Amino acid sequence: MNWGRYVLSALIVAALAHFALIFATPRVLMHVAMDRITGGAENVWRLGDRVTATSRQIVRPSPDFAYSACTFDLTQGPVVITATPWDAYWSLSLYAANSDNFFVIDDREAHYGAELTVVRSGTAHPEGASMIVESPSVRGIALIRRLAPTPSAYDAAKAVAGEDICASVARLAG
Amino acid sequence: MLRRIFAWLLAIVAGVILGGASAWATLKFGAASFTEHYGRWVHSRAAGSTAAGPYTRAIIARDGLLALSAREALYFSIYKDEQGRPLSESCIYNVAGLPLDARWWSLTLYADDNFLAQNTDNAHSIDASRLGNDRAWSARISPVRGDAASWVSSRAARRGFSLTLRVYNPQRDFHPDEASLPTLTTVSCAGDPS
Repeated sequence: MNWGRYVLSALIVAALAHFALIFATPRVLMHVAMDRITGGAENVWRLGDRVTATSRQIVRPSPDFAYSACTFDLTQGPVVITATPWDAYWSLSLYAANSDNFFVIDDREAHYGAELTVVRSGTAHPEGASMIVESPSVRGIALIRRLAPTPSAYDAAKAVAGEDICASVARLAG
Repeated sequence: MLRRIFAWLLAIVAGVILGGASAWATLKFGAASFTEHYGRWVHSRAAGSTAAGPYTRAIIARDGLLALSAREALYFSIYKDEQGRPLSESCIYNVAGLPLDARWWSLTLYADDNFLAQNTDNAHSIDASRLGNDRAWSARISPVRGDAASWVSSRAARRGFSLTLRVYNPQRDFHPDEASLPTLTTVSCAGDPS
């Protein structure tokens, strides 16, 4: 038996498996994160509970922030995302399906809150939208961080977060 | 014939195992290939970056999914004491810092599973909104607070925990170095000769 070709085949399979796992890891973790932090719901904000020792949805959570997350899905067209201003540090960041942080805006740039229209990269931009952001993937995560290191600050952030919007343009128009 | 089929199956299974093991080892130990070191602090500018390569992206997704890009925040982590030992719940540490050329910072303790330590002390972190960013500061890292004015609880953090320094909105001329980042010193460890 010629063992050389079997060894060579094993090495080729190993290389393919290696690269497939490296490529898939961030995408699988993002997919899991989308399910965990928004319960599978899309185009709707979910305010996370105050971060404590029992918070185990995403690695390395900061207990100093109130997190709001929205899994955006551009299958039905553009999605409007707004962030209501907060009286301490806040930021709105967008993550692609491969985990890249492709957009971020914070209170220094948006004193009065942010309103984005997220579109799939390469598609037509809707008319009249104030700030258009192109997403490299159809699905992704929008995340608002509001600095709220105390229980009372978290409660205040919770009230503000209720005014944030994450919804498809089609739904808003309907 | 049967022997040949068995050999092919063995080659495929061995390949999958080898590829899986090498990918796991890369994810577990590969961060050293792209991280920067400032004394004992470890930092990666590639966190959240759209320019990250597939290996960097996979490793960061495993250890810090949903990290912000360096334009918005910088992350520094420390895992070892002055003697190179893993940080441990059985020791008491002091961490001291100077104002950072940034808008806000926080220091958070994570157990070796990358989640907050399983305690109810409500003292997982300290931050600039409580300690200020205009003067020198210090805090104790220990399982019990004692007389510490500022405290991060390491209760139930076991051995191998880490501290992560988040620096938000760093100024354009913020250049981290060992002198500007907080200093972690060991005060005592259980079992040390007194």
